Amino acid sequence: MTPRNVKLIFLREVRDQLRDRRTLFMVAVLPLLLYPALGIGMAQMLSTFAEQKRTVAIVGAADLPEPPLLDPRQPQQFRAHWFAIADDADKLRVITDTMLEESLPGGPTLEEAEFLQAALQHRSRVEQLGQLTRRRERLETPAPTAGPLPPDHQQELAQLRRQEDELKRELDAWFRTSPVQVLIVVPRGFRKQLDEITARLEAREPVDDLITAAPRPVILQNSADEKSVIAGRRVREAIRNWNQQVLAQRLEAARLPGSLPTAVDATGVDLAADSEISATLWSKMFPLLLVIMAVTGAFYPAIDLGAGEKERGTMETLLISPASRAEIVVGKFLTVVLFSLSTALLNLVSMGITSKYMLTMAAAGQLSKLGNVAAFPPLSALVWLVVLAVPLAALFGALSLALAMFARSSKEGQYYLTPLLLVTIGLAMFCISPAVEINPFFSVYPVVGPGLLLKSILLGQPQPHLWGYLGAVLLSSFGYAAIALWWAVEQFHSEEVLFREAERFELRAWLRHIFRDREPTPSFTEAGFCLLLILLLVFASWGFLSSRFTAAPSAAQLLKLQMVYLLVAIGTPPLLMAAMLTRSVQATLKLYWPGGRMLAAAVLLAIVIQPVSIELLASLAWFFPPLPEGVRQLFTSMRSEEVPGWLPLLAFAVAPAVCEELAFRGFILSGLERARNPWVPIILSSVAFGLTHMIPQQVFNATLLGVVIALLVLVSRSLLPGILFHFVFNGMQVGLERLGGDSLQEFAARTDQWLYRVETSPEGLTALRIEWPLLLPCAVASVLLVTWLIRSLPTRPGSPAAEALLASDAPPLTLQRSGT
Amino acid sequence: MIQVEHLTKRFTDLKRGAVTALDDVSFEVSAGEIFGLLGPNGAGKTTCLRILSTVLRPTSGRAFVAGHDVDLYPGRVRANIGYMSNSTGIYDRMTAWELVEYYGRLYGMEEDQLQARLEEIFTTLQMHDFRDVLGSKLSTGMRQKVSIARTIVHDPPVLIFDEPTSGLDVLVARAVLKTIQSLKGQGKCIIFSTHIMREVEKLCDRVAIIHRGRILAQGTIPQLAAEYGQPDMEELFFELIQRHDGAAVDCAPPDDAERPAGHAAMQN
Repeated sequence: MTPRNVKLIFLREVRDQLRDRRTLFMVAVLPLLLYPALGIGMAQMLSTFAEQKRTVAIVGAADLPEPPLLDPRQPQQFRAHWFAIADDADKLRVITDTMLEESLPGGPTLEEAEFLQAALQHRSRVEQLGQLTRRRERLETPAPTAGPLPPDHQQELAQLRRQEDELKRELDAWFRTSPVQVLIVVPRGFRKQLDEITARLEAREPVDDLITAAPRPVILQNSADEKSVIAGRRVREAIRNWNQQVLAQRLEAARLPGSLPTAVDATGVDLAADSEISATLWSKMFPLLLVIMAVTGAFYPAIDLGAGEKERGTMETLLISPASRAEIVVGKFLTVVLFSLSTALLNLVSMGITSKYMLTMAAAGQLSKLGNVAAFPPLSALVWLVVLAVPLAALFGALSLALAMFARSSKEGQYYLTPLLLVTIGLAMFCISPAVEINPFFSVYPVVGPGLLLKSILLGQPQPHLWGYLGAVLLSSFGYAAIALWWAVEQFHSEEVLFREAERFELRAWLRHIFRDREPTPSFTEAGFCLLLILLLVFASWGFLSSRFTAAPSAAQLLKLQMVYLLVAIGTPPLLMAAMLTRSVQATLKLYWPGGRMLAAAVLLAIVIQPVSIELLASLAWFFPPLPEGVRQLFTSMRSEEVPGWLPLLAFAVAPAVCEELAFRGFILSGLERARNPWVPIILSSVAFGLTHMIPQQVFNATLLGVVIALLVLVSRSLLPGILFHFVFNGMQVGLERLGGDSLQEFAARTDQWLYRVETSPEGLTALRIEWPLLLPCAVASVLLVTWLIRSLPTRPGSPAAEALLASDAPPLTLQRSGT
Repeated sequence: MIQVEHLTKRFTDLKRGAVTALDDVSFEVSAGEIFGLLGPNGAGKTTCLRILSTVLRPTSGRAFVAGHDVDLYPGRVRANIGYMSNSTGIYDRMTAWELVEYYGRLYGMEEDQLQARLEEIFTTLQMHDFRDVLGSKLSTGMRQKVSIARTIVHDPPVLIFDEPTSGLDVLVARAVLKTIQSLKGQGKCIIFSTHIMREVEKLCDRVAIIHRGRILAQGTIPQLAAEYGQPDMEELFFELIQRHDGAAVDCAPPDDAERPAGHAAMQN
């Protein structure tokens, strides 16, 4: 690869894109126009939304006690006094049953009048419902000061709930169709009762009986209806403040101080500076927008540069020039990154300026209490923002370019945007959710790493602390970009992808093709499909199993479930697919005798690699999130003394060794072996193997072990060494677990702890740590064995039967094949 | 300059399963010669020429272009050929001059040498009128000229033309053929594929008739006429094909769906 050609191609592509009106529109014009336009639209919508009045009906308004809840001069409204923001009183329209007799201007309409009539009829039922709810709530969450609950309260609760549901259904059927959002029912004689209480308090007489017996007003609303929710919130605010006033009157009547109800009355102090309030806002908006715009900014140019060129025939012209395929891809990649970056940053600038402008206006008005919410993030944070945009743009650029190369036409390319965008937005939303913070594990996660780092910086966390993460984020993001780029170059080497015609897809022809043109071993596509099927089944059974775990099953049940899961989700798909889609089950699943030497090597390798794996995981414990409860339960079930030793051995050693090997080193590896480079099947099958383990530390561990097993299988051209390795490795782990932490500790104490020791973490978990005298020879032996395997790797992997057909196979992830 | 030895290319097709697009094809072309590859649609012409231009790899057999193995040294082969076909498009958002200049640079030409060469080509092909017109605004004839200029900008010893006249009107086609003729005069080794008999008769020194991936006959036109006792090339062509696959040829030409994908892909 020469920089000269890359530069030539890069410059040409940039000029080409700059001459494209669509690109210019997407990159420059749209962001500059979009945000101001959105701002205007939002301001307009808010103003029209605010003018909408909601209707509140009051039945029994005559019984409302003093002070007046409604405005005496304007009885269609609550008194503005009862709201924190006086204007809120204008947003609720009140109609009462007393208005039915008078004919005031602005009184109830015909429909509302009908509703009020009906409400008068339903009055007793609403009151009854209120009483039921009140009683149920008291039983469910007894006040700490209240006495003990009656012994049969569970039965009573159940009965109350039944009655309540019945009444609710009945009332909802009527209320749902009404023109009213909130209904307040004041019980008859409510005012008189309160007056009497006040009178007794004045006379210093006991009031307990009156207070417990007094019926209470009911506020009826339907929180499934958003209009009702907003109106209900305002009504409750007014009633709460009004209630305070009624209480104050009472206290006065009883000649008690007005501050009596607030005995503790602590003062809350918020340390957050104004700028930090705005920082919270920016820390959500900027990462989300940066990620989304980096994707879209990369995607459209990539489609034009990839699928578009294929479509217009200029790709073939370029391919016969001396520029190598890597040079072409890198030149195009740099162009896409440039446009992704400009789109993302221009969008951020435009959005930032627009929101600052709007917030400044808002801060001057209604939001003035919140302080200076419009403060911009400091300059250093903005520099970080630009720096972090680069790995994101690189990742998305490489990914979009690979997809664009894969697509037959621009139209097909566009279809890939939606899934890409959905996944990205999902990851971005995860980043901005409140409790998520950057940690070592997230920092190497694609998209999430840069997103969370940016969030932390915008939130104003001390930057020296975050420097360490920057390396991890940049390194991992560029690593992922490199993988995607490699994939794009691979696409370029595939004749099927380069010259795929936009043929009509026929399901029947395709199915016939799959069965008629069966080959001895599966294709790349079929391997990918097998993984997809396994992941789906794992996903489905994951939910099933975790529901079982919470129900506290016995250890034996857990182990049996684990076995069923392995058989169904992992063992069945490769067997079925091998039988249906290939001509030779034996060649596909590599059921050959490998010779004693390879089997011995497998056993030896499993034994020496075990301590290395244990120590590696233990020393990386800080990196991974803690194990979920269900998994921990499953592990302790291994140790359980209720089950005989063979059961955990079956569930954790035999079943995984057979099922997982059939799937990952059998069917999937055979399919992936069609790739040109022998490391492609090794790495991809291991990653697939890791993926099905779901839990980060197991994904990591399984991927590494997967590489070792794949080497064993490829070198021996047989699945058996793989199964044996897997069995011995897992069997040793079961053995260690069965020995249990306690006896290990005793054993370690006896052996002076020079080979290994048992470490107890602050959470009370025991972990085995291997000491150097044991670790070093094992590590050396492992390295030697693995090196030997790599040296003996056949240059062109695969069973002899498949070799003849290797040259002409389908690329990954496509359902149809066509040739040239 | 071009040696093709037992070249075979197979691929899998969705409809028909395994397809052999090229079956044990061998021929040679030397400098100063125009070699015609004559065959109906889907005969394997494009597949063959694509292998020679290194964008496809052979399943078996070998091919050498300007002394380099196409499978082992694709870079060296590409530096020594000029390739043009219907599917080698030109960029819409680049002017004629920019495009030819771009390819000249990709071929690693020195800047002053390149500018001189561009002036020369644009003059010979009479392209100065539209040198600063964007690709999207060019007429078919102009585009074809740009393609030819792009093909010869680095003055390659070997030129490959895959149906360069298909879809062109008579005038443009004639101009293209004239250019190819003049390139032969410069001592280039030229391979030229077509399904039009007259072009072959006018242009080619030697011809290979290719059908269903196989070469049915090759030699100079008088040689072929003598060998098969048929002076008319067109009749000779039909006779050979008919002999090859029985009575099937008189029927309507195969529709798109039935054409081998090698050809269909070429239409992209």
